[in-house]
Amino acid sequence: MTAQDHALCSHCLLPIGRRAMRLTVNGEACAFCCYGCCIAYQVKHGKTEEWEAAWLLIRLGVGGFLSMNIMLFSLLLYSDAFSGADAEMLPWIHLLLWLFATPAVIILGGPFLREAWLHGMEGRLTSSALIVLGVGAAYFYSAFATIEGSPQVYFDTATMVLMLFTAGYYLDAAGRARAARDLQPLLAAESEWATVVIGDGEYRRPVREVDAGVLVRVRPGERIPVDGVIMEGESHTDEALLTGESRQIAKGVGSHVIAGSINLDGPLLIQSRGVANATRWAQICRSVRDALIRRSPSQRLADNIVGVFVPIILVLGIGASVYWAQHLSFDRALLIGLAVLVVACPCAVGLAAPMATSLGIGRLARHGCLVRDPAALEALARIRLIAFDKTGTLTSGQARVVAIDSDGTSADAVLAHAAGLERHSEHGLARAIAAAAAARGLEPVAIHDVRVVPGRGIRGKSDGRIVAAGSAALMRELGWSLTPNLAEHGRQREASSHSVIYVGWGEQAYAALSLDDTPLPEARSTVEALRRRGVRVTLLTGDLPAAAVRIAAAVGIETGDIEAGLTPEAKRAALGRRRHDHGMAAMVGDGLNDAPVLAGADVGIAVGSATDLAREAAAVVLPPEGLRTLPWVIDVARAVRATILTNLAWAFGYNLIAIGLAMVGVLQPVLAAAVMAGSSIVVVLNSLRLERLPEPVPSAAAESAPASRSTATSNQKAA
Amino acid sequence: MAAYLVIFVAGFAGSFHCIGMCGGFACALGRDPQGRGATVLRHLLYNTGRLTTYCFLGGLAGAFGQVICTPQGATVPLLSGPLDTGQRILAILAGLLMIAMALQFFGLLPHLHRVTAGFGASTLAASLRSLLTAPGHAAPLAFGVFNGFLPCPLVYAFAAQAASTAGALHGFLTMAAFGLGTFPALLLMGGVGRALAPAWRQRGVWLAGSCILLLGLVTVGRGILPFAVHFAHGWTEPA
Repeated sequence: MTAQDHALCSHCLLPIGRRAMRLTVNGEACAFCCYGCCIAYQVKHGKTEEWEAAWLLIRLGVGGFLSMNIMLFSLLLYSDAFSGADAEMLPWIHLLLWLFATPAVIILGGPFLREAWLHGMEGRLTSSALIVLGVGAAYFYSAFATIEGSPQVYFDTATMVLMLFTAGYYLDAAGRARAARDLQPLLAAESEWATVVIGDGEYRRPVREVDAGVLVRVRPGERIPVDGVIMEGESHTDEALLTGESRQIAKGVGSHVIAGSINLDGPLLIQSRGVANATRWAQICRSVRDALIRRSPSQRLADNIVGVFVPIILVLGIGASVYWAQHLSFDRALLIGLAVLVVACPCAVGLAAPMATSLGIGRLARHGCLVRDPAALEALARIRLIAFDKTGTLTSGQARVVAIDSDGTSADAVLAHAAGLERHSEHGLARAIAAAAAARGLEPVAIHDVRVVPGRGIRGKSDGRIVAAGSAALMRELGWSLTPNLAEHGRQREASSHSVIYVGWGEQAYAALSLDDTPLPEARSTVEALRRRGVRVTLLTGDLPAAAVRIAAAVGIETGDIEAGLTPEAKRAALGRRRHDHGMAAMVGDGLNDAPVLAGADVGIAVGSATDLAREAAAVVLPPEGLRTLPWVIDVARAVRATILTNLAWAFGYNLIAIGLAMVGVLQPVLAAAVMAGSSIVVVLNSLRLERLPEPVPSAAAESAPASRSTATSNQKAA
Repeated sequence: MAAYLVIFVAGFAGSFHCIGMCGGFACALGRDPQGRGATVLRHLLYNTGRLTTYCFLGGLAGAFGQVICTPQGATVPLLSGPLDTGQRILAILAGLLMIAMALQFFGLLPHLHRVTAGFGASTLAASLRSLLTAPGHAAPLAFGVFNGFLPCPLVYAFAAQAASTAGALHGFLTMAAFGLGTFPALLLMGGVGRALAPAWRQRGVWLAGSCILLLGLVTVGRGILPFAVHFAHGWTEPA
């Protein structure tokens, strides 16, 4: 395994440095961001028969036993229980404490020493170095004090600091793992296995080694590992992670299934239709993983601060000791320096941003919304303006028959003839006509000798008559006349930028079919929801102004916020101008022709099909037909940003106050350790509040037309 | 001395209740294949670990009470003088907590159960199982240490009592008495490896609840009643 494989902590899934703590647990190579995650992972995943997990707990238990006894004796010493006649016992009690403390320091302190060493090799001074230094000073001073017979020893401080930090790290790691719950299914996929059927045998193979054509067995409850076609069995699947909608889709022999969906109730035999690495699922996994490894602006800020923080603390701690040594006793001064070192552990600062960011990214990914870069998530929270592309973004991108103006015959007859012709065409408008005929339950007229006239339309023969559908030019070519009435209708429709197809047979054009893109049903509510969030909505389109105005009116965008007839470059410039006027701007496009403007926006959002994932232009990718999730995505981004800010404020505020208290000598080292351990738990708990955000609203279309949606998805997959 | 005796009895009776959780562990710790002596040692180590944690919590709670009740710089009276205001408040709080725990033992405060037993107990217990079958003498000791930290209303009740004594030594002794009280039942469980009849466990629960209720009332009384000072001494000061 390469270093790249280990860029995330095996336990909490937060990014880790180059030299991580490594371990083999259950035969799997694992890397951890901190000692706490290392303990928590072993305790959780170590099996009973495996010595490793038990050995860890034994060490912690015995270390705890020793340090608790030390603490107890020390408490009794402090409360003067051994005063008076027992005073001559003091040296012996100190010796006993030393005897207990030595193994405790070795057992509990070993991992901190190791971590400090690993980070030190990386050129980083981290909190573990502070702990080692502080504990070492307390222990060795106490050892000398015992030999010299001086009245004060601090073995209890040395061991309790270690115990509190160990417990604090553990609790911290446990909370972080809970936060990573949403990410778990995404990142576990990389190491997932598939049950491959060869002949009569079934074999477990890593998913990435499964090629096209291979048969794969999937049991109920399992995640389907590859894209493929069902050869045997019936079941329901849940494609929530891919489409963002959690609902059951019935599947039978011949149905397409997508990798990453969950097989709910029946055993399936699937023939793989592609290399597993290339599935949308695998792309999502990689995308999320990459996003987690990248560092957001606030994370970089925190990292930089932590980088300079620890050396400063070292200087402050030693400085405080030296200063107080001149005013108080040497051991009081030592304790003050120790408290400064212990209380200043910057774990909470380091955790503030990645914790909230990974929670947000995981939450979004669970609903099919991919964030490729944590910086985009932070930018999204500050968006003041959202510009939409028209075709394919606010509209379905597929033409529909919106009007039939007939003259001298019925609309049904026109559609039946047109559908008969268009059956022979692959054109987008042809599909719209076929769909309109099917919607009325019409049988297409049988037509032979069909010929496509490029750029004009299509013609053929039926019952010896010529049948044609196409532009006015095609009609003229055939020598057919348009009645003045029909011609006028056509002109009007074209003026409002509909596509017009004239249909005729025999020797005359009988009707004009108007086709147009229609706004998505969720577009209007989405625009409203964005406005409610204080975001200005505009429309930037390459289409004609008339079409732009009509769609804008339909979805609720004001006329002043429309710019039409733009080239991709002009779109980018237009967005730049608006950005200048209003503040940070996002662009939402379908990712096919909007690459320049998506890349030029503060946040590029692609509402996309599978191929969009491969595009580098957009920082955020919504699931197919995921427009309605956009307001929710912004809510999540804002909540994440707010969480990061409160986390950082807490972590810095805490550190400043605590260091101040420690330096003036108010804070005992043991209390400092307890407060320290608590502070990063506060950050974790604060971040976990993100889990309480409401879910995105389900789409109305999802319930009304499940069949069409699932075929649409499999079409895209096949393409 | 009488107070420690009541605490011991409460621990003893309460441990029949605790057979649900700790007793299960004691059984699972099982017998050592090396014979009877090794088995006894194994269970003694387990109980020693548990006792250590209890004593530690008691000492800590007592010291905590002492810190709260003692003005900075004053010498620590350890209950030798009249109760000061801080200790009165602490005693009332601890007493109320104990009464609440006792009522929960009688099944009168069902909602409290979630607070006292729900917090992380199952996760901790599950991760500890790997220690039950681990070889060596350190494993049962380590197991006992962790076991002592498992959330348990009895432990809370006596930790509160320990805090109200406002002295590390008294806190330590309080929890030591409680811990020693739980020894017989758990050693028995480990050795015999058979659960007691439910009727007996029910009686244990009632007895333990009564003891805690009694101690709780006394503790509250110590905080409220001015004349209880001498009465309290009789209860809490070692003879």
